[in-house]
Amino acid sequence: MTLHAVDYFILLLYFAFVLGIGWYLKKTVATSADFLTSQRSVPVWITSLAFVAANLGAQELIGMCASGAKYGIMTAHFYWVGAVPAMVFMGVFMMPFYFSSRARSVPEYLKLRFDEKTRGLNAISFAVMTVFSSGISMYALGLLLKLVLGWSFTASVLLSAAIVLAYTLLGGLTSAIYNEVLQFFLIVLGFTPLAILSVTRAGGWDGLRSRLPQVMTSAWRYMGDPSQNPMGIDTFGMVAGLGFVLSFGYWCTNFLVVQRAMAARNMAEGRLTPLIGAFPKMFMPLIVIVPGVAAVALSQMGLSYALPRKGAGFDYDQVLTTLMAQFYPAGLLGVGLTGLMASFMSGMAGNVTAFNTVFTYDIYQSYIRKSAPDHHYLTVGRATTVVGVVLSIACAYLAALYNNILDLLQLVFGFVNAPLFATFLLGMFWKRSTANGAFFGLLSGMAAAAATHGLTVAEGKGGWLTPLTTYPSTMAQNFWIAIWAFAACFLITVAVSLVTKAKPVAELKGLVWGVTPIPREENIPWWKKPVLVGAFALAAALVMNWIFR
Amino acid sequence: MDLRKPSGYFFTLLGVLLTLMGILAPGTRAPLTDANVNLYTGLAMIAFGLILLLLARRSAA
Repeated sequence: MTLHAVDYFILLLYFAFVLGIGWYLKKTVATSADFLTSQRSVPVWITSLAFVAANLGAQELIGMCASGAKYGIMTAHFYWVGAVPAMVFMGVFMMPFYFSSRARSVPEYLKLRFDEKTRGLNAISFAVMTVFSSGISMYALGLLLKLVLGWSFTASVLLSAAIVLAYTLLGGLTSAIYNEVLQFFLIVLGFTPLAILSVTRAGGWDGLRSRLPQVMTSAWRYMGDPSQNPMGIDTFGMVAGLGFVLSFGYWCTNFLVVQRAMAARNMAEGRLTPLIGAFPKMFMPLIVIVPGVAAVALSQMGLSYALPRKGAGFDYDQVLTTLMAQFYPAGLLGVGLTGLMASFMSGMAGNVTAFNTVFTYDIYQSYIRKSAPDHHYLTVGRATTVVGVVLSIACAYLAALYNNILDLLQLVFGFVNAPLFATFLLGMFWKRSTANGAFFGLLSGMAAAAATHGLTVAEGKGGWLTPLTTYPSTMAQNFWIAIWAFAACFLITVAVSLVTKAKPVAELKGLVWGVTPIPREENIPWWKKPVLVGAFALAAALVMNWIFR
Repeated sequence: MDLRKPSGYFFTLLGVLLTLMGILAPGTRAPLTDANVNLYTGLAMIAFGLILLLLARRSAA
């Protein structure tokens, strides 16, 4: 792929705008809360698009297109079974507690609801995890740009990190959120033409269906038996593991996305954030997954296009960029590349802004220096932003040097995350659940996740204790790890809670269902009522599932 | 800051650039398509940018 002057110019224009937005928002930052939490100042259309964009990193874009080519339209389950119902649950049922607790972060909610050790466990694992995941995505981007454009790994890593650092340092969370929306528009406008062009060239959706094996274009028809579909999963494992445990855990408890909803102006808008976000989210598969499906059809049409190869197999991660090279001329190619950079930056800024808030409030202010004047925490917040970016760069190089360590780390993070949703579900909806219940529930959930991995094998992974069962794919294995982790955490939390002393109800006000006033909805128009908007989003997702069944 | 303004300017500018590419260099084509994609995408981006600017103007007035 070769770039022309006009493509570089578009990239520079984009850099100028994101930095300009950061510069303009500089004057809104006076306190640590302005910098780290935006002080409930962001309009709802912005928070809801940022809610979607913070998750739409470059790895998501490249990975979803790759999965589209590998597994077909089944990949959309991540959106239509995974994300949308979880986002609706988050907006309707969980935001009221996050908002009325006045917690500044997810770990802080755990501190208010349970105790210090539960917060510490969550805050520290989350902080480490965000740094590593932004490092890993930086590594992926650097590698891709080197492969496709021949850019130096160091140059692309340092340049993109420097720009993210500059605009988050200038305007804090507000700047990250505002830029995420610009980035979201650019991703959608930059990649929609690719979907249209690739599908049209392959003869439309009907052309795709006639050229490909049926399983590639059906999301549900082959889900009855794991041996019938390329993901190697059945309906229960997918709906319970991906749909319930993993997606609800991610969208409802991951501070990276929850932080966007917490920046909304009031509780009504905080609840609407994930609900409105669900609408653009459910159409993303058409832009990010469908081109991958189309690529397989195009490669069988005797055109100049072939699926990218690596050794004996296919290099699916390059499907997106090879399609761009086939369909985008100079000019639009610059827009597509800028869109890829934009997705990388929105993902990284999401990680960095979540990291600095959790570190400053949940680690520094809780364990290192408890009462200092606010400007001290503002300085710490800014310094943490720099440290977070530097650590991410270090992780990107670590990833480049030792690929296996990172696989291991991602595995461990998976164990840490898997049980979280059980803790929040019980914490928010069962007054009787106790701090010790939550803490030991979480630990048992993590242990159950590790044990499941040690006792099962999939594609040669796992089984380090003693292999009892074999799953047809690592994806199926991951879903079952999540299911067992959730079950263990849920049962142990309940069991320990029943034998330990609960907090008095007075201390649970604003934190738990039943003792938290939920705002009345009579006076607001129907299109702003969370329950109605949520029901409409679910109905729309159901229609998408039906169309692509 | 009303985010619709800078976004509106950005996409209008980008759209004008692509449209000019489409008009002045209509021979710039990608291997697998015969369409003048720069022109069409450029026009769509101008429309999107102007809608954002229009919305920003209406709520400011």
